[in-house]
Amino acid sequence: MSNKPTRLPVLKPEGNVPESAGVAEENVLPVLLSRREDAIGFFETLMKGPVSNTLGWARKHSLFQYPFVTACCGMEYMSVAASRYDVARFGAEFPRFSPRQADLLMIVGTINIKQSPILKMVYDQMAEPKWVMAFGVCASTGGFYDNYATVQGADRIIPVDVYVPGCPPRPEQVLDGLKILQEKIQAQRHNVATLEREAVPASADSKRKSFLGKLLSK
Amino acid sequence: MSQALIDLLKEKLPDAIVSSHSHCGDEVVVVKREQIVDVIKFLRDDPAAEMKLLSQIACIDMLTFATEQTGGGSIGSLEMPAYAKTNQGPYEPRYQVAYNLASVTKKHRLRVRVELRSDDCTLPTITSLYPTANWWERYCWDMMGIEFTAHPNLERLLLYPEFVGHPLRKDYPIHRRQPLVHEHDFPDLVRGPGPGPGGANVPMSQTHVGRKNVDPNTYE
Ligand code: SF4
Repeated sequence: MSNKPTRLPVLKPEGNVPESAGVAEENVLPVLLSRREDAIGFFETLMKGPVSNTLGWARKHSLFQYPFVTACCGMEYMSVAASRYDVARFGAEFPRFSPRQADLLMIVGTINIKQSPILKMVYDQMAEPKWVMAFGVCASTGGFYDNYATVQGADRIIPVDVYVPGCPPRPEQVLDGLKILQEKIQAQRHNVATLEREAVPASADSKRKSFLGKLLSK
Repeated sequence: MSQALIDLLKEKLPDAIVSSHSHCGDEVVVVKREQIVDVIKFLRDDPAAEMKLLSQIACIDMLTFATEQTGGGSIGSLEMPAYAKTNQGPYEPRYQVAYNLASVTKKHRLRVRVELRSDDCTLPTITSLYPTANWWERYCWDMMGIEFTAHPNLERLLLYPEFVGHPLRKDYPIHRRQPLVHEHDFPDLVRGPGPGPGGANVPMSQTHVGRKNVDPNTYE
């Protein structure tokens, strides 16, 4: 068994199928075989170079949402998440009820000032990379609650990536917002661990190496 | 409908009654502040009244009552209450506290009202008569600043303890918000800037090109 991972063959469509021009070579997925080297090779093709488009592709289709539901928009959130509108079709399937396991914070409903420290703490607890969606006008701008108690938009407290208008928004609008967010994620810069590691003392080196780093340096 | 109740009150506690009237079928009796506990205790325990249900304690700020009557508008501007514009003093007695009592068995209702001057808005508590009065009185304290003496736990009910002032008073500025975490300063023509460093007096961003010639202090 050699130390170098073997490149996997890329499957081409068989027969008289025209080549689709829009699909770049690196976006065609190789078949994943069961051997360990093959798996490593698969990851290597995904994360070629210091900045990976494919990582964005992987992340945008695997959004783990944290629904921060505070008000009536929650009703619409339920229908988005449930079978009829089915946000799972777009890869945002699992609501995680711990911010530490989520990467999309959905602010669903009115944020009042008494609640704002909680929202900020939830946002701070989420691990990078993270994105935020303001769901409904209350979360986006405060809505019609222009009063002493309401935060005039969640973006006054935490950064927001995509705003979904409506009171409450139709589920289609939410799905539309999700698609926009996915486009944004795809266009973002996703850095991955590279083989050029910073020089660290030899004793600490083995401990500090991340799993991914170890994987890639094989 | 419950005119008989008012007659009963007038007969049993004649000193306590200031006035009484009926509005849209609701009987209202205005009583003196010192006797509010006696009146409510009487209405609760008397076999003819039997008002075992305290459905609400509400508070009304009559500050702009006079200007409303003359078409002066009900809400003050951002900076000053409406009465200050018209050079009138505040309407006195400024606050009214209304106790909405009901009887489930006798099927009648009565509104007992107390009027309070703005320089002394204190009132004896009735938590010993109705346990539900505890939260209603905290609510009135929170929103209107009516102080209930001898209340067991007179703290804010809905707002956070850091809040200064009482927001449903008509002289509370409409756009004054008291954030708990730092808010980014957003130039917003309609809502005003966020209370960032410098608060509401931060000049509006020049990059905001929606409307021209907007005064950043009043947004008009
Ligand atoms: S946007 Fe409308 S539906 Fe959504 S929380 Fe605000 S008021 Fe409720």
